[in-house]
Amino acid sequence: MNKKPKILIVDDKHENLVALETVLRDVDVDLIRAYSGNEALTATLHHDFALALLDIHMPDMDGYELAGILREEEKTARLPFIFISAVYTDNLNVFKGYERGAFSFITKPFQPEILINKVKFFINIYRQEAELNQLNEDLKNKNIDLELSNKELEAFTYSVSHDLRAPLRAMNGFARILTEDHAGHLDAEGKRLLDNIGKNSEKMACLIDNLLEFSRLGKQDIREMIVDMNKLVKDVLEDLHTANNSNKTELNIQDLPKTRGDSDLLKQVFVNLLSNAIKYSSKKENPVIEVGSSTSGQETTYWVRDNGSGFDMRYKSKLFGVFQRLHSDKEFEGTGIGLAIVHRIISRSGGKVWAESEVDRGATFYVSLPSVSNVS
Amino acid sequence: MNSMIQGVEILLVEDNENDAELTIRALKKNNLANGLLHLSDGEKALNFIFGEGEYAGRHIEERPRVIVLDINMPRVGGIEVLERLKSDERTKLIPVIVLTSSKESPDVHRCYELGVNSYVVKPVEFEDFFKAIASLGFFWMIVNQPPA
Repeated sequence: MNKKPKILIVDDKHENLVALETVLRDVDVDLIRAYSGNEALTATLHHDFALALLDIHMPDMDGYELAGILREEEKTARLPFIFISAVYTDNLNVFKGYERGAFSFITKPFQPEILINKVKFFINIYRQEAELNQLNEDLKNKNIDLELSNKELEAFTYSVSHDLRAPLRAMNGFARILTEDHAGHLDAEGKRLLDNIGKNSEKMACLIDNLLEFSRLGKQDIREMIVDMNKLVKDVLEDLHTANNSNKTELNIQDLPKTRGDSDLLKQVFVNLLSNAIKYSSKKENPVIEVGSSTSGQETTYWVRDNGSGFDMRYKSKLFGVFQRLHSDKEFEGTGIGLAIVHRIISRSGGKVWAESEVDRGATFYVSLPSVSNVS
Repeated sequence: MNSMIQGVEILLVEDNENDAELTIRALKKNNLANGLLHLSDGEKALNFIFGEGEYAGRHIEERPRVIVLDINMPRVGGIEVLERLKSDERTKLIPVIVLTSSKESPDVHRCYELGVNSYVVKPVEFEDFFKAIASLGFFWMIVNQPPA
């Protein structure tokens, strides 16, 4: 990129070449002389030219002939020409292969400024093309790097999942064996401590699984389809209801419009949002969970509202972070990955997610997705 | 030469001593560990099955009823053992259960291609691990009818 662009100047007359060099002396280029078509062809073997200035009237091989040959060669097929001629011609179809590259004419005697202008014009294009090629090359290299690091990440994910789980299984298993086989030697406190070891190893296993799920979501393909949100929410609530046994929660579900998205991933979003709503309202006497939507313009916003413990809006920036929690385990158990998963799925689906809350007055989570009628 | 090379019903190939201990315990508690031989890597397992190396002279016809195989082992891994077993006429009918630590494993597809009979992810939680091993033991040692 730092090298000066090279210009091939071809003329059978020494004084014309000198004249060209004089005119172009202030342009930041290297000029390579050739006294005949043959010399010019030889020069193209040794140099990469940005432009060629060709005299039309030369013995043996004239400028048009030379241009035609250059257009035939792979290396010079797109090399732009400026023909320098004694007579003006506007006949474009004068040399073979003229359509494959740019060219221009200048008639003698010419104004030096006009030639300089034309040369600068072609040199600028050459520079821009070179820059573009360089950027493309960089991009290609970055893509290769990216592919490599993706592969590394996959291998890393695998070993995290594999190697971190094995010691946990041992901890959990041996703590359990101690409880089973040596209970006689343990008092209540000893058993409680052992129980803590077991619980924590399970929690760690859960964290590992969640983290892996989160990283998997980043690469999983999104399979878009029309999704019946009424059915999706109903299914999720049924599953959660069976799992939680929480009959006391009042559910208030509005009719929801369809959306376009990956139904498995959207289901995961609503599993996380609704199980959070159930969890964080579980300590209320009359927990209420509402689900609704509003459509404006191109977007439908679905919301999930509970009347639970809510959160302090000062910490809303942490809400969707990985392993970020706004409650202690003692208040509400969790791994801090659920909303990070929601955020990742919704961003990858081209939507937005945000929340509003007030401490002890519940929380509302909003998910906006493209409206079906506006997506073709 | 290992003293217990006859009457092997379950061959457990597992390099992780802890996992092996827990697996054996789960089988023992269910009276399924009679005739269990534990080997700590794939190389020993192949030598045992094919009567080579330290097990030279052992008869290849004395097939275990089931082989429980860990995937990640140093030197000769579970996949390689599985491949050898399933590509040899003399051993390809022995049921093989692959145990792995990871749900993320890229190997599950490969194992089925090679003809694995079961592919099980070891649960971290002891109850689940115990149940998984016990039910595997029940199925392969009692319910399943082995090839003649």
